[in-house]
Amino acid sequence: MTVSTDLATQIYQVFIKATPEKIWDAITQPDQTARYFHGARITNTPERHISRGPDGATWGDGPVREFDPPRRLVHEWRSLYDEDMAAEQPSRVTWEIEPQDGGYCKLTVIHDRLEGAPKTAASVSGPGWMFVLSGLKTVLETGEPLAS
Amino acid sequence: MARVDDDRVFKALADPTRRLLLDRLFERDGRTLTELESSLEMTRFGVMKHLRVLEEAGLVVTRRSGREKLHFLNPVPIRLIHDRWIDKYTAGPAAALADLKRSLEDET
Repeated sequence: MTVSTDLATQIYQVFIKATPEKIWDAITQPDQTARYFHGARITNTPERHISRGPDGATWGDGPVREFDPPRRLVHEWRSLYDEDMAAEQPSRVTWEIEPQDGGYCKLTVIHDRLEGAPKTAASVSGPGWMFVLSGLKTVLETGEPLAS
Repeated sequence: MARVDDDRVFKALADPTRRLLLDRLFERDGRTLTELESSLEMTRFGVMKHLRVLEEAGLVVTRRSGREKLHFLNPVPIRLIHDRWIDKYTAGPAAALADLKRSLEDET
């Protein structure tokens, strides 16, 4: 398999049949993220992005740069769940929610500024964000998590 | 809309040039039209047409960076097709084998 050589900016997009408010809650409230984000309990406030594993370990901790409910969230990303990745430079995650026709929203996730975090970039690329976003869509549209 | 989306993804994937464009973006993401065009023996207009089909299917997302328009691979629709169409048909035999293993091991 070919390995992608330039992963410093990654963009993922998915259409979800849900209101912007429901999507916003699903990405900012720990009880909801636990259902689709590898079990991580993630809290996003205007000040801080904090992610905790099921055992309470800190998986992520960084400042929130933009907090504009229910449209736009920008926060720093550090992969603290892995020693090698935790030592890398922080990167940035942007969530954009745009309402569409027919009760759908377009959710775009941009993970960029990954130049100083090649291991993190490789880890979140492809199946990483893809799994999270398809899980999020399933939870919001069916009320049930993806079967693992 | 979900079904329309699936149709678009299948249609977009049913063309060798478009699959090649996705492979090019997989190798290196965030490319301009000029970069993508140079790896194909096709007119600029032809490549643009294929990119538009990929964009409408959600497989390619574009972003402006200064004066350039960059093309990014969005693999999420393929994942959704996988969840909907592949998992379903591979779960059966795998589950059946797991059941067989369990019943055989229980006998001993």
